[in-house]
Order: sequence, then structure tokens, then C-alpha cells
Amino acid sequence: MGKKFYKNSVGTGKYTGLLLIMPFVAGLVLFTAIPLGMSFAGSVSESGTYTEVLQSSDFYKSMAVTLKYVLILVPLKLVVSLAVALILSISLRFMGVYRTIFYIPSVLGSNLSVVIMWQFLFTSDGPVNKFLNLINIESVGWYSDSRHALSIIILLRLWEFGSSMIIFLNALKNIPSEYYDCAKTDGCGKVRAFFLITLPLLRDSIFLNLILQTISAFQEFNAPYLLTGGGPMKSTRTVGMLIYDEMFRYGETGYANAVSWILFAVITIAIILIWKIGRRGSEEF
Amino acid sequence: MKKNFAVLLICSALLPAFISCGDMGEVPKKASETGVKEPDGQIDSCKLRFSWWGGDDRHNATLKAIDVWNELHPEIEIIPEYGGWDGWSEKVSAQINSHTEPDIMQINYDWLVSFSPDGKGFYDLSKLTDYLDFSGFTDEILSFGKSGGILNAVTVSVTGRGFFYNSEVYRKMGAEYPDTWEDLISLGEKFSDENIYPLDLDIQSGGTAWYLAVVYVQQKTGREFISMDGKLGFTENDIKTALDFYKTLEDGGVIRSVETRTDEDGNVALYQSPEFIEGSVAGVLEWGSSVGKYEMVLPEGVLEAGNFLSDENGNTGGWMVKPSMLYAISANTEYPDETALFMDFLLNNDEASVAFGTTRGIPASAHAEKALEDRGLLTGLAQKNDEMIEKLDTVTISPYMELPRMKEFYNSAIEKISYDQADTSAVAEELYNSINSYLDKIKVKN
Repeated sequence: MGKKFYKNSVGTGKYTGLLLIMPFVAGLVLFTAIPLGMSFAGSVSESGTYTEVLQSSDFYKSMAVTLKYVLILVPLKLVVSLAVALILSISLRFMGVYRTIFYIPSVLGSNLSVVIMWQFLFTSDGPVNKFLNLINIESVGWYSDSRHALSIIILLRLWEFGSSMIIFLNALKNIPSEYYDCAKTDGCGKVRAFFLITLPLLRDSIFLNLILQTISAFQEFNAPYLLTGGGPMKSTRTVGMLIYDEMFRYGETGYANAVSWILFAVITIAIILIWKIGRRGSEEF
Repeated sequence: MKKNFAVLLICSALLPAFISCGDMGEVPKKASETGVKEPDGQIDSCKLRFSWWGGDDRHNATLKAIDVWNELHPEIEIIPEYGGWDGWSEKVSAQINSHTEPDIMQINYDWLVSFSPDGKGFYDLSKLTDYLDFSGFTDEILSFGKSGGILNAVTVSVTGRGFFYNSEVYRKMGAEYPDTWEDLISLGEKFSDENIYPLDLDIQSGGTAWYLAVVYVQQKTGREFISMDGKLGFTENDIKTALDFYKTLEDGGVIRSVETRTDEDGNVALYQSPEFIEGSVAGVLEWGSSVGKYEMVLPEGVLEAGNFLSDENGNTGGWMVKPSMLYAISANTEYPDETALFMDFLLNNDEASVAFGTTRGIPASAHAEKALEDRGLLTGLAQKNDEMIEKLDTVTISPYMELPRMKEFYNSAIEKISYDQADTSAVAEELYNSINSYLDKIKVKN
């Protein structure tokens, strides 16, 4: 067996690898590292900006909205995407088509047509309220009631569970069927097998989804901006929206940058916590 | 390896948190640092970016005017950038802060305070008189575009907010358009049986709810809400009166409550909402220069202008006017002469004026107004609104009143009152203090 040689247009020299990653590095420096530095410089350019943020009721209100949103959406999304992934992992004809159908909402995202559809569904005389009336439940002020407005944003994002579902589907495929056969032989039912085999073996995927979804939920901006404008009574104004408003609507650059860094710190703490809990779970397992 | 990959993945996912604010740094440098490009007295071949906001009527008219320009000056290509009002000021704010704004912009009145408090944020138009003809403008009109004593912008039209009603609905209800505040309030009861609202006031970007309440108090007290130099003229009690008046309109069924309005329309603008198009909301308070978008969604001739309201003694004071919009040139433009030539075309050219019609209100330029008058084009709702305003003893709006932060204060106050979160006295006190502290803050900053 002869030794294999790999050729590429930039050669196989000492710096080939470096050259190959240069486009990514250039992009990272130009569009991430430099803006990151400028953002930090902007946040400390005026003295007392962080104090102003930490004394502002708007900041705490937005942070509370964001935390509530993260705490409701992320677990829900994990449960729903795992449940759908379990259903779609069954061997059936046309399963590829079903998987595609379930992934479509994630492709659509919260674009304008989806938002228009959502507005149509949840206005006072929309189909959702009409359905509720049909089953003798009173109409809900989805947009106007601060107790419910966040739920339509959560529903919109929950509908986009495709990415998490794909990660779960892939992990489910990697669980050897022999485990289930053995369990069945030992008299283990499907529900027990799910908790004793599937769930522990999905630990890494759950962990990855949890982290990715938490980060994305903390940074939420599009859905509340397009659906509710942050209202009513700022009950859906996430930190992402606060940053946008302060930056572009009110021209408070320093304030917006400071809030961005505080959000970064909060996300980092949340991820460290998840990481630690995840590791402890792993050791116990 | 697996762990490193995970760390890299997480870091990459976290970083976008900063991208939103990353473009607000010091590069590229703004004109005040690199030096403004001086006019060279020559017209060169170039491309110019021109931005504006508006409804479809304005977009179509402006694109038609650009076609006229392209025939006259094929060497200067105009690249149009346009959209609706919602989100527009945020977009322009991002452009101005990153010094990537278009060469010529349609700007809002308060942007002079926001973006050019010292007059250096936009080009000094007094340097461009070789190409810009100001002879059609009065000194008072020109003064609207000055900031820090420097002529930064030219007023396109002067406008005021007036009432426009769905004539078919009013006819069906057997109702007359109101002349006094009392008439307006009594309409609420008359229309309520049919579940129709005679008027709409909003707390969206227009903020008409607070605007009408201010007019009511200005007429009643003779005091200006905010002076031209940014001092709050209302007392705390005046603010309470304004909020009480708003609540009376809501409670009397004249307008929808914030809750009902939000329930029915979500975050949709009134002129796009089924309630307005189908007639369950039969009136709107709108700038004469922007009423076209409401007119377009109803059958022709259905929307009619109503009178400016007065008190029971016929006092029509307190109504406000302002430059509906202005044209400004970027301080960073590479082509000041060419941009000035284009701006002059927009303001004074006969053919351009005909193409625009009254989609930006009745032109402030006497040349443009004459061009429309000669061709019998000074018609429509904008003209009617303008004629009525001319007969009133109006107040010029302070640009400070329109600042986005101030609008947030007003809208939050109205929302609190509407949702019964607090009584009007408490909200008035909070609003009074918020306005005063903010006005003090921006004056120190500027």
C-alpha cells in the first residue's frame, strides 16, 4: 500500500493550514473581534454608564422579561423537539418527507409572512379566539394582556423546533437497537426503556441543545420587535429590544453597549451553570 | 478535542450578542474629523443616494420625479432608498452613526436636534447657494432648518395634524363632523350602539393620543407644551388635564382603548388595519402631508377633512404646525455641488413639483407651489387641511417635543392611564419629572 499524497491549489507547505483558515480568521477579526472591542470601548467611554444601567428600571424589567422567556421557552422547546424526534425516528414510509415538513418552520423563522400569519391567528377575532369560544372558553387578549403577550412570542419560537429536533434525531439514530432488544428481553417496557436507555444516551445532545437554545433565547429580538413592539406595558421588551431601542431609537450608544456587555455576562454565567450541572450529571451517570 | 469544539461552538454562538452594537465605533471617521468636502463649483458625473420615508403614494411620485431628473441629468444617477416610517429613523440613525448615510435625505424635524445639535451633523447649505435657490422660501421657513445657527436643512412643506373622516360611515350614522371638543365627545355615545369609533388615536410611532391631548390643553390654557429652546411650558396640573382629557375620550367611546386597539390590530399601522379599511374606525388625526396613505386604502373621495376643533367660545388656538419634513445633505458627501443641484430640483423644479403633487404636503417653496397652482394641482385633502390651518392661530411645534425618548414618555403615560395602572395625578407627576430631567440631560449633552 503506497503512501497517499493530498494536493490542493495552495500547496502542502508549513503555512498551508494557516492560509486555508485565513478567510475565516479575517471574517472573525473584522466582523466580530473589532466590533467587540469597539463595543467595550463604547460602553466605558462615558463614566457612570454601567451605574446608570444598573439603576434603570427599564433594564431590570427587560431582564426579567428575558429570564422569564428563557425559562419557559428553552425547556418547552427541548421537550417538544425531543418528542417529535422520537416520533420521527420510527421507521415509516416517506419519513424523509415528514422530517422535512417539521423542519420547514425553522427555515421560515420569524419572517414577515410568518408574523403576519401570527397576527391573523391571535387578534381578538382571529381563529385562535374563535376556536376557544367554540369550546366555551372566553377570548384571550393575546396582544393586549401583559400576562399573555409573551406567550405568543414563545409559541412562535416553539414552532421553530427543527434545529433541536435534527440534533436529537441524529443522536437517536446512534443508539444501538441491541440495547432496546436486551431491555425488551429483560421485560422492560417502552417507557422505562426511554428513561433508562434513551434519555441517558441523549445526554450530550440535550446538553448541546440546552446551551444553544439558551443563548439564542437570551438574545431574542426579532419576534417581539415584529409581533408586539415590546408591549403592552413593556411586558415583551426583551434585553435585545432594549439594546436596539437605546442604540438606534434613542441614540444612547454607551448605554446600549453597556447593556450588551451585561447581557454577555449573564449568558456566560448561565452557560457556566448549565455546564457545571451537566458535568456533575455526567459524573453521576 | 470534543470539548474544545464545544467551547468554540458556544463562543461563536455568544459573539453575535455584540454585533448589533459593533458598528458604532469610530471608523469610518465622520466629516467633522476628516474635513467636509468643499464645493468646487463643477458638476461631475456621479451616483447619489437619496432616501425618504412615506407611503406608496409618495414612493410612486418620487420615483416619477427621479425619472424626470434622469432625463435632465443622465450624468448624475440617483439611487433611491425608501420605506415606511416605522423603523425608518432607526435605520437612518444607524447610517448616520456609522457615517454611511445617503448623500441627500428626507429628514424629520427632530433629527436636527438628535443628529446635528451644533449644526455640524449635516452639510452647511449656505455654502451651496451656487446651485441651491432659496428665493422661494421665507426667512421663517428657512429658520426651521437651522441648527446652532447653521442652515442644515430646507423645509419641504409645513403641515399640521388635522381630522380626516370616513364620510360613508358618518353619513350612515347620520352624524356631522365635530366642530368643538364637546361635539367630539358626544359622538362616542352616538356611535357606540353600532360598535363604531368616530376617531382613532394611537400610541405607536405617530403618538396622536398625546398630541391631541396637548392641543386641548394649549387651547385651554394658552401655554405652549415645550418651547422652541426645549423648556417644558406645561405645569404638572396641565399634564394631568391632558391625561384626563384622553381618558374622557376613551371612556366615552370616542376612541378605542389601548387594550382594544392592540387586541384588534396587534402591531399593525391603522391604515393597514381591517378596522379602518372596513369602517369600524371612522376617523384619524394625521399630518396633511401624510394623509395620502389613508386616502389610498378607502374608495376614492370617501375620506374627507374635518374642522379643527375649538372650545365652546370658538377659540381655535393651540393647534400646532411644523415642517412636515426637510431635505438635508450629508456632511460626508463626496459630491456637494451635485447633491445641491439635485436638492434644488426636488424643491423648485416645475416638473418635479408636478410629479410630487401634494404627496409631501403643500410645498413650502413658492416656485413649487406656483407650478402646482398653475396646473390646477393644488387640490385634495392636503390642500384642504392647509387652507384650514392657515386660518388658525397656530403654534410651531418644538423639535424637542418629537424626540423619540419624549414620545416614549408620552406613550407610556397614556398606556398606564388606559390600562388603569395608576391615577392621572401620579402619572402626570411621573411624566412631568421624566420630561424635565430628560430635557435637562440633553441640553447638557448638546
